Amino acid sequence: MSAVLVDYVRETATVTTPLVADGISISDLTKEFSIGRKRILALDGINLSTTAGSFLSLLGPSGCGKSTVLRIIADLEVPTAGTVLVHNQSPKALQGEHHLGIAFQDAALLPWRSVVSNIRLPLEVSGVKVSDSAIADLISLVGLEGFEKARPAQLSGGMRQRVAIARALVIDPKVLLLDEPFGALDEMTRQRLNLELQRIWTARAATTLLVTHSISEAVFLSDAVAVMTPRPGRVKEIVPIDLPRPRTPDMLRTPEFHAIEDHLSDILFGSGVPLSGDDLS
Amino acid sequence: MNERRVDAQHVPTWVSGSMGAAGVFAFWILASQVWGIRKGIPAPWQVASHLLKDWHYYPTHLNATLGRAAQGYAWGNIAAIVLALVFVLVPFMEKALMQIAVATYCLPIIAIGPILTVVLHGNAPKVALAALSVFFTTLIGMLVGLRSAEKTSLELVRAYGGGTFMQLRKVRLRTALPYLFGGLRIAAPAAVLGAIIGEYLGGEKGLGIFMINSQQAYDVPRTWGVALISTAVAGLGFALTSLVARLAIPWAPKEGGQR
Repeated sequence: MSAVLVDYVRETATVTTPLVADGISISDLTKEFSIGRKRILALDGINLSTTAGSFLSLLGPSGCGKSTVLRIIADLEVPTAGTVLVHNQSPKALQGEHHLGIAFQDAALLPWRSVVSNIRLPLEVSGVKVSDSAIADLISLVGLEGFEKARPAQLSGGMRQRVAIARALVIDPKVLLLDEPFGALDEMTRQRLNLELQRIWTARAATTLLVTHSISEAVFLSDAVAVMTPRPGRVKEIVPIDLPRPRTPDMLRTPEFHAIEDHLSDILFGSGVPLSGDDLS
Repeated sequence: MNERRVDAQHVPTWVSGSMGAAGVFAFWILASQVWGIRKGIPAPWQVASHLLKDWHYYPTHLNATLGRAAQGYAWGNIAAIVLALVFVLVPFMEKALMQIAVATYCLPIIAIGPILTVVLHGNAPKVALAALSVFFTTLIGMLVGLRSAEKTSLELVRAYGGGTFMQLRKVRLRTALPYLFGGLRIAAPAAVLGAIIGEYLGGEKGLGIFMINSQQAYDVPRTWGVALISTAVAGLGFALTSLVARLAIPWAPKEGGQR
């Protein structure tokens, strides 16, 4: 597994100059939960590293601990063992300096607040100041012009997730954590929002971690995909995605795209002989 | 079951609502004709005409009872809200104090009344009884409300560096409002009832005292009149808090947050 990791670091290093993992750097991360008297190993020796500004996806079935990794980076869970550094900072320091944006599968909008007011929530909590025009820009970036005053109950599921994405971006985070943000949406809305997420991410250039169980979503958006297996949660392989950017909907139908998808599902479901990363390009 | 559903869709709410009242009224008339005033059941018109005749007695009694009920309502609810906030901010306190709160609810207020009358003086025991009768329901309403905040909303606040107090300010308090109003609504008639029970234990003015006096004078229609006015006052309190709730929390479902 470490050989794969080294491969991966070398791969990305050819694209971006530094060889150090100055984005997300996770080593030997272990997490145990206790349910009653039982101890359950949720994460077993996770190693991940990315360069700053890259887009990494954690792909795996539910229960493989991918959300736990994200929650540890967000300082919502404490690791049992191992180290987690993002931009060479601990999760706590990162949170303290308000460099972190986060969005969950549940948009978690406050029903009594308008769209603008929901987007402003991180600012109120963190004390970061942002101009009104910056928020207006953000609203147009996620395509919500005209809905500034709307209440969450008046919005569709897709629009609520747009608000959640805008809220994650409002403090202009250096690190963006997305926990299946489009997981509860229908396939068509999901594809459209993925396209927009790519556009937004290109405009903002934050180090991003996406947790997803959709193979095509992971391939479409990521610089690299870490495939996880459950019980205990382990990273089975890290697959670099070297499709050119910006990625277009047409690309979803290319043989290259399908080859990567097939490779990932082989790793996930264990059928056939896994291809090595080099054969994909 | 299905038929009832169809019916409920076609009949306007005000009709189905007044049907219940009309039924009670019809039963009252029937009972008064069967048993009559000597057996303790006067006809509605007898009670009404007596009420008109007695009207000048009511303002002083009403003022006294409403004053006590309002004070008890305020103190009991403030105590309940503050305690619920303390429980959420300092979970240890809940373990220590919740049993006492439950005890206040299990205690029959008719039993604690005499003790309060000995310990406290003047209006205080009556106000205390009114406060006691609202305290627990509001405490539970507020606690459930504060706890029903979405986990992801709370985590979001934490992810941006907010602590327990920030979670309370930004998420829990507003989430709790519909539940709190649910509690406050029930508390309004409960406070009136508490004050009246307090007045049973002695005093000069108040609906409770007026009720006892007219009962002891075998003035059946007047006893009924006082009961009716007491019910109307309690119901008015309920209606008023419902109205305030609807204006204060427009995002919540109409019936408040009990579901």
